[in-house]
Amino acid sequence: MAAGTQARPSARSLSWRQFKAILRKDIVMELRTKEMVTSMGLYSLLTMVVYQIALSQSGSAFDPRQIAAGLLWLAFLFTSMLGLNRSLVHEQDQGCLEALLLAPVDRPVIFFAKAIGNLVFLLIVEVLTIPVFAFLFLQGGGYGGAWWMIPTVLTAGSIGIAGVGTLLATMSVNTNGKDFVLTVLMVPLMYPLLLAAVSATTAAVLGGDGSVDQFWAGMGGVAGYDVIMLLAAYALYEFVIGA
Amino acid sequence: MKQLKVAIVLLVVGGLLTTAAFFMAFYTAEVQRFGTITVAEQLDTVIPLESVTADGFQYGRPWFSQKIFYFHVPVAEASFLVFGVAAFFAIRFLMTKKREYDTKSRMAMETSLIFVILTMITGMLWTRASWGIWWEWEPRLTTYFIMTLLMIAYFVLRNSIEDEERRATYGAVFAIIAVIDAPISFFITRLIPSSHPVVFQSGMASSNLVPFIVAQVGMLMVGYAIYTMRMGEEILSERVEAVKEALED
Repeated sequence: MAAGTQARPSARSLSWRQFKAILRKDIVMELRTKEMVTSMGLYSLLTMVVYQIALSQSGSAFDPRQIAAGLLWLAFLFTSMLGLNRSLVHEQDQGCLEALLLAPVDRPVIFFAKAIGNLVFLLIVEVLTIPVFAFLFLQGGGYGGAWWMIPTVLTAGSIGIAGVGTLLATMSVNTNGKDFVLTVLMVPLMYPLLLAAVSATTAAVLGGDGSVDQFWAGMGGVAGYDVIMLLAAYALYEFVIGA
Repeated sequence: MKQLKVAIVLLVVGGLLTTAAFFMAFYTAEVQRFGTITVAEQLDTVIPLESVTADGFQYGRPWFSQKIFYFHVPVAEASFLVFGVAAFFAIRFLMTKKREYDTKSRMAMETSLIFVILTMITGMLWTRASWGIWWEWEPRLTTYFIMTLLMIAYFVLRNSIEDEERRATYGAVFAIIAVIDAPISFFITRLIPSSHPVVFQSGMASSNLVPFIVAQVGMLMVGYAIYTMRMGEEILSERVEAVKEALED
């Protein structure tokens, strides 16, 4: 069997190579320009400054850990919209999307490659943001849950954001009000995911009795959302990219 | 214009039915029980149940907040149903790429948005009377609000695209994704604890059920009439556009 696949690449390994090629293109472009991570990272840092203003009157008795998860996911949502928009605007401006469509590549391959690329950048920014956030707002608060909780919910939530976001950004770059349209489409669609992710993340941050149950309940919501919405996005991407 | 005649007849009949249901709700329907709480227990205490005027005349309090049930619920269920119709036509459009399905989908979405706005207004009046607040971030209200935002987003998306085919495709794709929220909003009161009443869990007395069904049928007729009239208008305006273009050439 191994010899057969080496001699003539099967359809699956061809798709796999196409997937890798598109993903590598995005990553190489990012490594050369460092545009996405810089702009997204800076944006999320600025969000922290705005949070400081929002919390400035809360007083010393207020425990920021109660709302830390909400603030974090908010920053990730807005940062991801910035990144998604840029990622697809690049494709559009330089005619890359058209070239991809001309090439004999399956449409779902394009979707998954773009989504994974966006997921990677989003995760990098998240990993950079969390220590900064903890340093600025959570000093001395302590972390309640098990160590693996935050990475788990972060990955699952980001998969949903990147997957649905890639579909929506592909639509919004072809409209007149690019980033505005993306915001209008994305925020309501993201609502269930963010609600579940914030619930799970809060359980992880605070810890204590019942936090594991709450974490898994939230994770169930995130996972359900990911499955349903990614299937829908996967099925509909072909129509979007072809229009 | 046979369709327009049907639409006008349906509008009149639907209007009569909903009006009839309105009167039945006040004159024949009993007090509705929501789950384990009667309406009397749920009502705020601003106006006591039995009031006595200064000259000793005793009168029963009109059940205003509860009677809105015969308008609010039919409108809400119609909004879910018509939203589903819009998504169905969106799927048909993606399958066939026929423009008529796109128009149908958009018209259904418009009709549904009218119902959604009516539901929101009547719902807020009811929560004010029954819970003492205009708004609460409660599962049903929240998911329904999200659904409203998704519908508005659908029109924002459409209006920002000039190319006709692309507008139709994107609109259809977004309608299909957005409709996922409708069953969530519909079933959420049955799945997680919510202060929004669940109506058909404990059954209803026939004096309640009859006006409700009359109102529901009437509301669907009104909805179909609005949809058909808008479709007729749209077809006419498309024809006008075609004539204009022909004259310019």
